Amino acid sequence: MARRGKHAFPSQIETDLAVKMDGAHYVYPNGQVVALSGVDLEVKKGELLGVIGQNGSGKTTLTKLLNRLLKPTSGTVYVNGLLTTDRTVQEMSAHVGYVFQNPNHQLFARTVKDELEFGPRNIGTPEEEIAQRVAAAVEFFDLAAFIEEHPYRVSFPIRKLVGIASVVTMKPSIIILDEPSTGQDHQTTRIINSLMRRLAEDGTTVICVSHDMPLLAEVVERVIVMRNTEIIADASPREVFADQQLMLTTNLQAPQITNIALETVYPLGGPIALTPEELAADIASRLEKGKR
Amino acid sequence: MPNPIVHFDSVFYTYPGTASPALSDISLDIMPGEYVGVIGLNGAGKTTLGLSVNGVVPSMLGGRREGTIIVGGLDVEDYPVREMAKIVGIVFDNPEFQMSQMTCAEEVALGLENAGIDYETMRRSVSEALNLVGLEGFEERSPLGLSGGQQQRLAIAAVLAMKPQVLIMDEPTSNLDPIGKQEVFGMATTLNQKYGMTVIVIEHEVEVLAEFADRIIVMDGGRIVMNGAPTEIFSRADELQALGLRVPEATALANILGKKGHWKGSVPINTGEAVRSVNALLGVRA
Amino acid sequence: MSIQTAMPTSMIPGNSVIHRIHPVPKILWIVIYVILAFTTQNIFILYGMALFAVAMALLGGVFRPLLKAAYLIVPVGSSLIALQVLGPAADKPWTVLAEVGFVTLYGDGFYYALVLLGRIVSSMLLSLVMVMTTHPSDLFLAFSKLKVPYTFNFMLAMTLQLIPVFQREVGLVLSAQKSRGMKGSGFAAVLPSFVPVFVGAIERVQQLSVSLESRGFGSSGDKTSYRQVAVRIQDWVYGIGGATVMIGLMVYSIMQPGLWNLSDMISFSPRTVLISFGVSVTIFGSVILGATFLSFRKS
Repeated sequence: MARRGKHAFPSQIETDLAVKMDGAHYVYPNGQVVALSGVDLEVKKGELLGVIGQNGSGKTTLTKLLNRLLKPTSGTVYVNGLLTTDRTVQEMSAHVGYVFQNPNHQLFARTVKDELEFGPRNIGTPEEEIAQRVAAAVEFFDLAAFIEEHPYRVSFPIRKLVGIASVVTMKPSIIILDEPSTGQDHQTTRIINSLMRRLAEDGTTVICVSHDMPLLAEVVERVIVMRNTEIIADASPREVFADQQLMLTTNLQAPQITNIALETVYPLGGPIALTPEELAADIASRLEKGKR
Repeated sequence: MPNPIVHFDSVFYTYPGTASPALSDISLDIMPGEYVGVIGLNGAGKTTLGLSVNGVVPSMLGGRREGTIIVGGLDVEDYPVREMAKIVGIVFDNPEFQMSQMTCAEEVALGLENAGIDYETMRRSVSEALNLVGLEGFEERSPLGLSGGQQQRLAIAAVLAMKPQVLIMDEPTSNLDPIGKQEVFGMATTLNQKYGMTVIVIEHEVEVLAEFADRIIVMDGGRIVMNGAPTEIFSRADELQALGLRVPEATALANILGKKGHWKGSVPINTGEAVRSVNALLGVRA
Repeated sequence: MSIQTAMPTSMIPGNSVIHRIHPVPKILWIVIYVILAFTTQNIFILYGMALFAVAMALLGGVFRPLLKAAYLIVPVGSSLIALQVLGPAADKPWTVLAEVGFVTLYGDGFYYALVLLGRIVSSMLLSLVMVMTTHPSDLFLAFSKLKVPYTFNFMLAMTLQLIPVFQREVGLVLSAQKSRGMKGSGFAAVLPSFVPVFVGAIERVQQLSVSLESRGFGSSGDKTSYRQVAVRIQDWVYGIGGATVMIGLMVYSIMQPGLWNLSDMISFSPRTVLISFGVSVTIFGSVILGATFLSFRKS
């Protein structure tokens, strides 16, 4: 690990936080446009976090600072206690897995199997371990039919799963998913949903950037809302989606069911429902109570 | 009774080099001014259906087609795609992949240039189209500098310049952020309600379709398996779930409560209806 | 994510006299310049042309950008001078000017270096000025008026548009590879990245062609043009005037033999040549060293 830093910040710190950002500021190389304005962020290990906001709000910049694809213009970013500025993207890839929105940007091997083996091999995973992980990924993502196929021969939705799988096999302690469900139908979105849960159960820190509010509502414990290069809200999904003023100013829409709950059971003391099941259960129990 | 503007009669289509048909026994009538939503899993044939309406399938992509398709009174088999372009416009899921010109005005004018429309008329049509989609003043700007939502609206403008009667949108918002989605869906509704355009929207965003579509078509494995009003289709939640599809959360709520015997009447297709019905159920004064 | 640059071109917006010239005479001028530059060996004509181009740049208000774009001349020029003095592209016998150790410097080479440099400089400067003062769409309009086939013209225009797109795509692909721990920088790393970019390009073109087809592209009939540029008397003057001057120069030179190649008439003092050679070698050498050094650094 190179200790190239000549600045005041320690290259490594003792911490149990997965991510510690202080005043992270990013300006595009042309010097004109600010993409991120002095952001502070702490993420504990194993958290399941959603990031929402319009395009241009700074979501992607924020995540790219985490795996050193970008270097903060000022401020510090510590990932697993390591200062990103002192390391290369390749070094950080052993800690942070980044799944790009467009799988076409990632895939270039001759077969899906090669694709799944590429990442772990680069970071020095032993061969038997690689084989195990690939087998597990093939099973989880239901890719058995495609392992010998060329990545560009399979349909786009499958390619997207291959893109995600090829990062999962690296077993990073932090995984960033950039819009994993765009262009996907409901069935595939369910797979992504259960993937995120499974990863979190295994202790992986999951950061999901998405426009898919119902998906996030179901899965994440914490939502970060970004607008105009800043974090303007950082709370549980219920608190964020219930904040109608916030939703209005950011032009975001809470899941339909949450909006329904807010105007029906919530004023009566009921929950800010995140799923139809939850709201139905509450309404049903009220009705049953009423009958007695 | 007016004639349908889109008429499919027992249509089968197989892509070249594939064994199973992408479209199986499709029979369908769409009336002028309808807003039709098409849902289904990836690979169900939705895009193929859309591309058959203007003839790109099969004339551009090859393959074998059987059955008859009549659009705007014309048999699609007898007319080249560029003639159908005057009746049917189609917008795709990747806004950037539809751009090819240096300026927005030229992008919109492209179809008109190719049709040999005279300069004065072209200028006017371009201006009108850009105004319609809310991009007035964007004539000289580069399409590549626009946001996703703006690019998609530009693509719509480019199609509208030909003054088609039918607009097909194939997953137009899948690559857009929430603002972009609002802009494009708003556009579809405006074109349909204010201008009486026939709009066919292929999407996964069932909440929006439930609220604005007159009719929902469900496709699976190349076939149309359901075809009816949103309230009817989305009340069949179990069937849809078995097909791997989502229903709007409002309808899902009603369906779950219905199973427990709590829900009376038709399923809600938007937030407002759901709120009213639930409050009525709970005996809450409005 | 949309691209930051407003226009993927090198046009500098403006409303100068030069901007307002019709694109057809502008293209004609570029062609004239190139033909004249590569047939004459008269350094007065060549550098006169270059100066004229600079004057146009000043008139067009694009002098500064031109300077920035033309900095390439420095390494090119220095390499030409250095190499030509060592081995002239002229007929033997060569005039020996000096001998530095085992290296012989020839005087004829210096003249030819100036000719070669003059050709590059004059054609490049004028082309740059013309391109910087013309909207690319108008350039393509001019091509179509000059009977360039519609499809070819269209493809050319699209390629121009797509250059920044592909730059972005290559960048994204490299980022994705690095994020998966791929080591190695420089060319070896870039090569496998061509597959995704290539595939992306194909998918893009496929979808674009369906979109274009669906808008009626490629009809065989007569096409009209949204882009219109008025033709004024001045434009005819520029076009015909330019052609006349060039032909005049060529005819004059042919009728007056010896005006073409002045290398016999002009000779440079040994000191001039030696100093120029020294400077050129230094510049050229440092450019090579710098490039080699950069390619070995980790990206």
